[in-house]
Amino acid sequence: MRPALELFWKAMMARTYPRVAWMFRHRTWLIQETLLPMLSVIALANVYRWMHAPVQYIGIVILGAAMTAFWLNVLWSLGAHLYWERDSGNLELYILCPAPMMGILAGMALGGLTMTIVRAAAIVTTGVLLFDVPLEPTSWWLLGLIFLLTMVSLYGLGMMFASVFLLFGREAWHTVNLLQEPIYLMTGMNFPLVALEKMTHWAIPAAALLIPLTAGMDAMRQVLFRSEGFLNLWYEVPLLGVMSVGFILLAKRFLDVLERKAKEEGKLTVKWQ
Amino acid sequence: MNETYRTLRWSTWLGWQIESNWADIRLFVLYLIVKPICGSMMLVCMFYAAKYATAGRVPAEFLPYIFVSNACYGLVGMVMFGMSNVVISDRESYRMLKYVFISPAQFQAYFVGRGLARALEGLLGATITITTGLLLPDIRAAVNADGFDFGWLVVFLLLGAVMLWACGMILASAVLNMSRSGMFLSEGIAGVVYFLSGVVFPISVLPTGLQYVGLSLPTTYWLEGMRRAITGRAPASSPLAQSPLAKWDTGELALMLLATTIVLVVLSQLFYRWSLRKAWRNGKIEEATGM
Repeated sequence: MRPALELFWKAMMARTYPRVAWMFRHRTWLIQETLLPMLSVIALANVYRWMHAPVQYIGIVILGAAMTAFWLNVLWSLGAHLYWERDSGNLELYILCPAPMMGILAGMALGGLTMTIVRAAAIVTTGVLLFDVPLEPTSWWLLGLIFLLTMVSLYGLGMMFASVFLLFGREAWHTVNLLQEPIYLMTGMNFPLVALEKMTHWAIPAAALLIPLTAGMDAMRQVLFRSEGFLNLWYEVPLLGVMSVGFILLAKRFLDVLERKAKEEGKLTVKWQ
Repeated sequence: MNETYRTLRWSTWLGWQIESNWADIRLFVLYLIVKPICGSMMLVCMFYAAKYATAGRVPAEFLPYIFVSNACYGLVGMVMFGMSNVVISDRESYRMLKYVFISPAQFQAYFVGRGLARALEGLLGATITITTGLLLPDIRAAVNADGFDFGWLVVFLLLGAVMLWACGMILASAVLNMSRSGMFLSEGIAGVVYFLSGVVFPISVLPTGLQYVGLSLPTTYWLEGMRRAITGRAPASSPLAQSPLAKWDTGELALMLLATTIVLVVLSQLFYRWSLRKAWRNGKIEEATGM
């Protein structure tokens, strides 16, 4: 058991390393990851300001932008990454080496999370200072717990995506694209989820709760801005906990089945398809 | 001329195949529809959320403003960033850029053809989005036969096509000499255009200094022209009438767009020649960084 854990740990750290090392070696990312995303955040925050919406709504946009950074990281740097790794020839090396794939995926997640935290922190700090958004959470501890659970379930979902994407060719690119705007809409990325309920039907936001972003953001907004949530906070926190465990277990199961299937269909070394 | 036309025709075909042949045509059409509609619907949700929160004090004409602008902005994204992405995908992913360069194909026409394929996709997306928007009463009230001006729409579409070609060439030329940062340049320019061109709010909301920057961008005039051609002018009593461009008549807008587009075309051609020569001398046309 111990050598297996040691190998998992080493594989995870080895895959985390290039993502973290890149942060120090290629400094232009600081502009790319902090300044550029702020422009669209400011644009969307100005929409609410122009409409004279309460300042909490600007807070919703800022929080949404920070969480978008994590979602994009999960999609591009975790979900679709095995597709890029296959194109660059790394995937066959991952399969050949004795390191567990779950360890490699966990490393990708950890490295991506580290990088994205910087982007998210820059967005939140600049947004809050620029628009003077009041941050008075009911509890910082609760906020931290919700954020942690959201991240674990989100990256678990990303690991599950990564397994599914093993079978994909060029459609991986389009699928990832398709998982952006519709998800932003369903999760209420820039507006309260209750507004979506009022505009459509309660079933739509209820179904969206299966995406960790929805439950996580709704819960964080309730704590941060003391606003009305779609679901009671004390239902959303356990739901996030269940999703955290569930998505990681599912990712492991999917990876075993789909890696086998990809081998059988000869898709592990296919490039540019 | 014949060579240019042939390159344009085949690169448009190639671009369309790359964009569409990954899926069954029905699935591809669904993809074309869902993505832009959801992007615009998010703004619709923001509008209604603000309306609920302010007890209905948000003027109704704000909704068609953001909806139509956002649909048209999709075209900017598709063409400008599609053209620059060609350099990245053909050089880094398919590793074909060097072969296109040494072939008898016209290199610039190749980019334009690939951009045309994206333009077709963008135009389809914008049309579908605006048509879907007609299901909402607030948008239906603004997008109707009274406000719609087909003549100006054609003028702004044609001028816009030239403008987008010039912008796309500037981006593609810049990316020729970039490696890892190339993809982010497009994202950055997208953010600047989105913020300063009055896509989702009138530029009068910006601080005075930034309003001047916005007014120097051709995309600002193009978006205003497209909005007017589709929805007509904003009512004089509306806060939208306080925008610096509200006092301009549509002919003045078109002339300004023409003037800024001419400047942009000259700049893009000079920059393209300089960038291509630099990329060729520095071996950037075949450089793959594993990005």
